[in-house]
Amino acid sequence: MLKSWKLKEIVLMSLFAVVFGIVYLLFLHIGNIWAGFVGPIAYEWIFGIWFIVSIICMYIIRKPGAAVISETIAATIEVVLGNAVGPRLILSGVIQGLGAEAVFAATRYKRFDLWVLMLAGVGSSVFSFAYGYLLGGFTVFSTGYVALMLGIRILSGALLAGVGGKAVADGLLATGSLRGYAISRPKKGDVRA
Amino acid sequence: MHDVILFEQVNFRYPDEDKWILNDFSFSVQKGSKLVLTGPSGCGKTTLLYLCNRLYPDNCDGVLTGNIKLFGKECSSFIPGEINHRIATVFQDPDAQFCMQTVEEELAFTLENLHVKREEMDKRITEVLALTNLSEFRYSIIQQLSGGQKQQIATACALIMEPEVLLLDEPIAHLDPYTAKKYVQWLNLLQKKRQMTIVAIEHRLDLWGDFFDRNISLNKSDIAFPIPQRLTSMQLDTSFEVTKVETKTFLKPTSFSLQRGEIAILAGPNGSGKSTLLKALCQLIPNSGVVEPAFLGYVPQSPEFLFLTKAVQDEVTYGGGYDVDNLMDRLKLVEIAGSHPFSISHGQKRRVAIAAMLCDGREVILMDEPTSGQDAAALYELFQLIDERARAGTTFLIVTHDMEFAYRLADSILLMEGGSLTGKFPAADVWENEQLLLDHHLLPPKGLMRHEKSFA
Amino acid sequence: MRSLLHRMNPSVKFLLITVCMFTMAFFFDPWTPLIFCVGVLLLQVLFSQVDWKKWTLFMIPFFITAFGYFWTTLVFAKESSGPIIWSIGSVGVTEIQLDHALSLSFRVLAFSSLSMLFALTTNPVTFILSLMQQLKLSPKIAYGILVGFQFLPVIKDEFIQIQQAQRLRGMFQKKNALQRLLASRLVLIPLLAGAVRKAERSAFAMEARGFTGEPRSSFFRVITVGKVDALLVALFLFVLVLSCTNTFWLS
Ligand SMILES: Nc1ncnc2c1ncn2[C@@H]1O[C@H](COP(=O)(O)OP(=O)(O)OP(=O)(O)O)[C@@H](O)[C@H]1O
Ligand SMILES: Nc1ncnc2c1ncn2[C@@H]1O[C@H](COP(=O)(O)OP(=O)(O)OP(=O)(O)O)[C@@H](O)[C@H]1O
Ligand SMILES: [Mg+2]
Ligand SMILES: [Mg+2]
Repeated sequence: MLKSWKLKEIVLMSLFAVVFGIVYLLFLHIGNIWAGFVGPIAYEWIFGIWFIVSIICMYIIRKPGAAVISETIAATIEVVLGNAVGPRLILSGVIQGLGAEAVFAATRYKRFDLWVLMLAGVGSSVFSFAYGYLLGGFTVFSTGYVALMLGIRILSGALLAGVGGKAVADGLLATGSLRGYAISRPKKGDVRA
Repeated sequence: MHDVILFEQVNFRYPDEDKWILNDFSFSVQKGSKLVLTGPSGCGKTTLLYLCNRLYPDNCDGVLTGNIKLFGKECSSFIPGEINHRIATVFQDPDAQFCMQTVEEELAFTLENLHVKREEMDKRITEVLALTNLSEFRYSIIQQLSGGQKQQIATACALIMEPEVLLLDEPIAHLDPYTAKKYVQWLNLLQKKRQMTIVAIEHRLDLWGDFFDRNISLNKSDIAFPIPQRLTSMQLDTSFEVTKVETKTFLKPTSFSLQRGEIAILAGPNGSGKSTLLKALCQLIPNSGVVEPAFLGYVPQSPEFLFLTKAVQDEVTYGGGYDVDNLMDRLKLVEIAGSHPFSISHGQKRRVAIAAMLCDGREVILMDEPTSGQDAAALYELFQLIDERARAGTTFLIVTHDMEFAYRLADSILLMEGGSLTGKFPAADVWENEQLLLDHHLLPPKGLMRHEKSFA
Repeated sequence: MRSLLHRMNPSVKFLLITVCMFTMAFFFDPWTPLIFCVGVLLLQVLFSQVDWKKWTLFMIPFFITAFGYFWTTLVFAKESSGPIIWSIGSVGVTEIQLDHALSLSFRVLAFSSLSMLFALTTNPVTFILSLMQQLKLSPKIAYGILVGFQFLPVIKDEFIQIQQAQRLRGMFQKKNALQRLLASRLVLIPLLAGAVRKAERSAFAMEARGFTGEPRSSFFRVITVGKVDALLVALFLFVLVLSCTNTFWLS
């Protein structure tokens, strides 16, 4: 899988992971404090932010694996930064990435419009929720409460990660610095796209 | 003797541009020769170098036609990485050409790529550091070194590969004159010892002496632009007052003042803290002390992070901007007015930042190495512009390693060494004082010597 | 002795901690996570030189989270049968509910103390090198991450510099904290644009140094697995088994 990747694309993912690793950590602290007052449901509102890097990277690079790898690297960087959620976060990263990746794979890496990106956010939400259900011990909550949590997380995934990710990447595209990446090709009617 | 690099009727352009950067270009480099490529800023020298080490066209999806042969073989017949073991490159930008944290790790990374045995690594690292006089930096963190120091480390990284061909993209643009001279000397020794082929890009050949045996100009119209001696425009009132500016880690308390219309040059060895001082003055790094006025113009050593807009034209007009068209024209920015500031050549970026600051109508302007990477024509325009503005009452503080430029321009010289200001001197006193110059890794300008001879 | 955890192989440590966490996930009584948490702290006190001030600072948010888990589980628990043993206002709390609530809160604490142990005793660069050498992570990705990591302080500086540069260019400044937080959004795009350029140049530099992403034949810094690792794995598993079997020896 990695054979078709250019080195600059991998380093790009890694650097984005660093930038968003910092953003993630910031949100984690906000979430933690908030969670003390409103319980674990606090995270659900902002959960989408933690999928954003996979969607941005996939939208820019458009190669199989972009979502999983970038999300995993971001999680690794976050752990390495001294995050107290610890090594388990790397696994969460893989699973969140897989959720988005599944959606992109379903379109055979051909479609990257807003709907697909939002759906990818939803994919991450669902995957990460299943994982959280097991490890976070949500089984002890009542069904209604769990459903509410899932609902909010899906919404957050679609909006924060899907819409937000597209907005960031489009902003970046407009600066012209993304020349030489897949995202800037279709515009010019390039045959390689 | 066969050709190590051979270009036959090569055409190249970037995917989104219509203009061909290289047009029916042919040249060849013989084994063991020392070749220099010159040409105006933005004419495609860096691009050409990237074609020689096979980074392009793969990495930019550029359009390439014609024939490139390396070591007598079709260049596409090499497996990935093979060429890079034999051709080493030192890049133009000192900030982003490393991948590890410390100097030692960076060198080891290179050796690992070459599949060198572990037992040998330590020896080779020690050797190359001794050779380049950089042993004291072995455990330094690369990102904390000064621009010039980074450039020297980059050369060490290229040399540790023991390459057959060395490609250098303006390797001494960020070095102080004394270090630059040393650099040329040991490059010369090394070349003799190892019979390396050297291809360099350079705008200013005076420091190189007779190092190169061939000069290829990418653009035929190389006219000389002699920079005249400037007359002072210093006025009586003080316009820039710095009191006890100091940073926690490096910069010692610094105080000085400049008069309206004064042009001061800040000079000193690599790593002496010139960039740090300018950043502190603009409040880019935390510091204590008083700077009056606080609203300054600033052209950083790596100008990119100033850019806020999507086109060169907008960038220049951003701060209000008067006299834009004239400036754009004189700094040769008109033809790239619509390009994105991030996708132009190094020299062009620096000129965009300069233009933006000159258009803003600020009273005091600080410039960090505005001369590096500029061709003779641009240097001439820069000189004229600074002179005009100084006459109109703007005060300048300019960091440069280019002593010719400094000699023509300066009213006074500020010297730095090891994080503290040695003092502020009238320009004329400095050029005569050889000990003072040498202490600060400077060399007397050629202009001065010629001048003296004609009066002798 | 006090440096053992720091000298432990990061990959082994990583796997060990992951195993511990997954095991914990299957227990819903308060004692298992509590005992485990205490055991982990004990190991950390014995075998590491952790800055406990820093530790406490990082743990504070997790104490808050643990509290959040505690009360939400009480209020939104699934099973509410059984005798009420405690009542807060109109909400009655059964024993099962209380057990679950305590269990989840202690689990949060157990997980975070494990994580802190990892974070505070592991050098990031060694961790990545170890992932490459022991767990066969592709060098392309490993070095990609190392480059990213190397730019971490640079990106922090750049964040400040871009803000200052925008001020320098005459973009007007926001006064209150919320406005500033919103304005930092404007910094994100230039920051990312800078990251794209850095990525490209670093990748070029790596390729120019002959890096192809192939597995390497020798490493300058070799990360080993040794006796220390075996000893620590044994100790951790002992603590794990001890806490999981608490029903047998505690009552
Ligand atoms: N990635 C890119 N995409 C599109 N155009 C580019 C790109 N890089 C450079 N250019 C354009 O190609 C031209 C040549 O650039 P290059 O960097 O090779 O110039 P140069 O001769 O090295 O200049 P300098 O002396 O200022 O470094 C410039 O006009 C620049 O605007
Ligand atoms: N981010 C940093 N962290 C710590 N030290 C630094 C950092 N940046 C620079 N330094 C140190 O501060 C000193 C001064 O660096 P500075 O960049 O100001 O030098 P300079 O005079 O501009 O040199 P040059 O002519 O090579 O650009 C150097 O010794 C460098 O090692
Ligand atoms: Mg160039
Ligand atoms: Mg400097």
